[in-house]
Amino acid sequence: MAGLELKNLSKAYGQTEVLHDINLSIADGEFIVFVGPSGCGKSTLLRMIAGLEEITGGELMIGGTRANELSPKQRDIAMVFQSYALYPQMTVAENMGFSLSLERKSKAEIAAKVQEAADALQLGPYLDRKPGQLSGGQRQRVAIGRAIVRKPKVFLLDEPLSNLDAALRSETRVEISELHQRMETTMIYVTHDQVEAMTMADRIVVLNGGYIEQVGSPMDLYNNPASEFVAGFIGSPKMNFIKGAPADAVGATTLGVRPEHFEMNPSEGAWQGKVTLVERLGHDTVLYVNVEGAGPVTVNLSGQHSQNVGDTVHLKPDAHFIHKFDHEGRPISV
Amino acid sequence: MANRWVLLFVLGVIAVLMAAPLVLTLFTSLKPTTELVNPAWYPPIDLTFEHYIRVWTEGGFSRYFVNTLIISVVDAIVMILIASLAAYAMVFMQFPGKMLLQLLFVLGLMIPVTAVVLPLFQIVRSFGLLNTHLGVIFADLALAVSVFVFMFTSYFAGVPKALHEAARIDGATEFQIYRRVVMPIATPAVVTTALLEFLWSWNDLLLRLLLMTRDEMRTLSVGLLNFQGTMTRDVTGLSSGTVIMAIPVVLLFLVFQRSFVRGMTAGAVK
Repeated sequence: MAGLELKNLSKAYGQTEVLHDINLSIADGEFIVFVGPSGCGKSTLLRMIAGLEEITGGELMIGGTRANELSPKQRDIAMVFQSYALYPQMTVAENMGFSLSLERKSKAEIAAKVQEAADALQLGPYLDRKPGQLSGGQRQRVAIGRAIVRKPKVFLLDEPLSNLDAALRSETRVEISELHQRMETTMIYVTHDQVEAMTMADRIVVLNGGYIEQVGSPMDLYNNPASEFVAGFIGSPKMNFIKGAPADAVGATTLGVRPEHFEMNPSEGAWQGKVTLVERLGHDTVLYVNVEGAGPVTVNLSGQHSQNVGDTVHLKPDAHFIHKFDHEGRPISV
Repeated sequence: MANRWVLLFVLGVIAVLMAAPLVLTLFTSLKPTTELVNPAWYPPIDLTFEHYIRVWTEGGFSRYFVNTLIISVVDAIVMILIASLAAYAMVFMQFPGKMLLQLLFVLGLMIPVTAVVLPLFQIVRSFGLLNTHLGVIFADLALAVSVFVFMFTSYFAGVPKALHEAARIDGATEFQIYRRVVMPIATPAVVTTALLEFLWSWNDLLLRLLLMTRDEMRTLSVGLLNFQGTMTRDVTGLSSGTVIMAIPVVLLFLVFQRSFVRGMTAGAVK
């Protein structure tokens, strides 16, 4: 187990810098999630930590030791790839024991450690199968098994759930969180899915355009976003941004109201508009409302509601949860 | 439906044209001398193996066969090793001068053997390797290596980069990744290289004629020339010699046909 320190880390391909001045401290045993849109540099940053991409500026410390020049092996990290990257010619057991066999461990020791990892991941019955004979979820578990069998200092996971279907994704999400609790090893997890970030992370690092936008706990990011970008990225459905008269009235360039922070009334409320679309999810009802003077607004109401397309509704944003942003997208403190 | 019949007819004609010389050669090699007056497409009436025995013993083909086998097998094995190692470096490793090296390999594809055959002869002679198996093997490898580096490069380019990265994370050295991760999944490319290099080496005449002048060092392709003089031609000897030479190659193709086709088409489509 080890903590990590990223000091002014940067990455450039020729003249093009894709990551700028990344500063981050990751505590021993922490579960950190890098999140951001495609092309923000989150996977590149993970690969730099892994030793798969050269660090062109700054310093990376793993467990207090400078790791910039160390090979992936010397860094003592394990990585789970988006594509699983299982060796197709090897059985599940051989895949999981490959790193141990390279360390010239005895066959008995390898078999014992593989069995231990297989038991933890319910892979026991599949040890003699080849990856091609497994389902997507089983392959993902083998990829995780290959990582945990070595007991590395740091786990890196690069969008490990993106190839799984929705049901399996939430199931595996829980398994990874439980695994982290059991192993208490530092984990760095890359995803573009903010739900994964919110549900799994101790702290989330939001990246945008090669810069860190904000670092904080999921609730910190949800309640106190450091920018309009973070406010829009964290939360589903995403926050409503309202410009014009309603924002001007409170001295802001943009008002931010999360869809779940509206009260609805059929006859009275601050804002009035027509319903353009209704999504009934059972536990929630999502209304898309075209508000006069504010434009399209998404409203997430708890429970089941009877509004239909074309109905006029009155909305009142919860005053405690209104976010104000200036012209640079920075929050204005209330 | 009509298109299908036209296609079948065209394919049938091509198949007959391809097979005819082989069948006629086989017929001639199995005919007693007395039947040679019959047209070539007449099958043998009294089958005989006397020409095979004559070619094998008196014609020196037993010795030529061993020479050819040694050169072709070593050629194929060494070619697999050097071409796959070079292609591995080209695909999976970063090093200075990589682009230049790739350019040199492509250049190698463009130069015909006949253009470099004289300097090659001088090089082999200066190393004292004339009339040795090693001299021909070196020349064969040098002339064909570009083709097989190109073939392995195409194949390796289709291997997911994540496999190489996963193996690096697992702690494997580049050679361990080559040997334990990449080569075991490159069987089609290995088989294709082995077959093609074996075939080229087995059938080559020019280099063997030039670099192996002593009779005991000759290969089958050169040995066949013994049956053809300026004024005369030993038709049965030539036919049975040709069949002896063709049998191993045909057998190899029949056994490895599937892998060969897979290797040839690798990298053609994503």
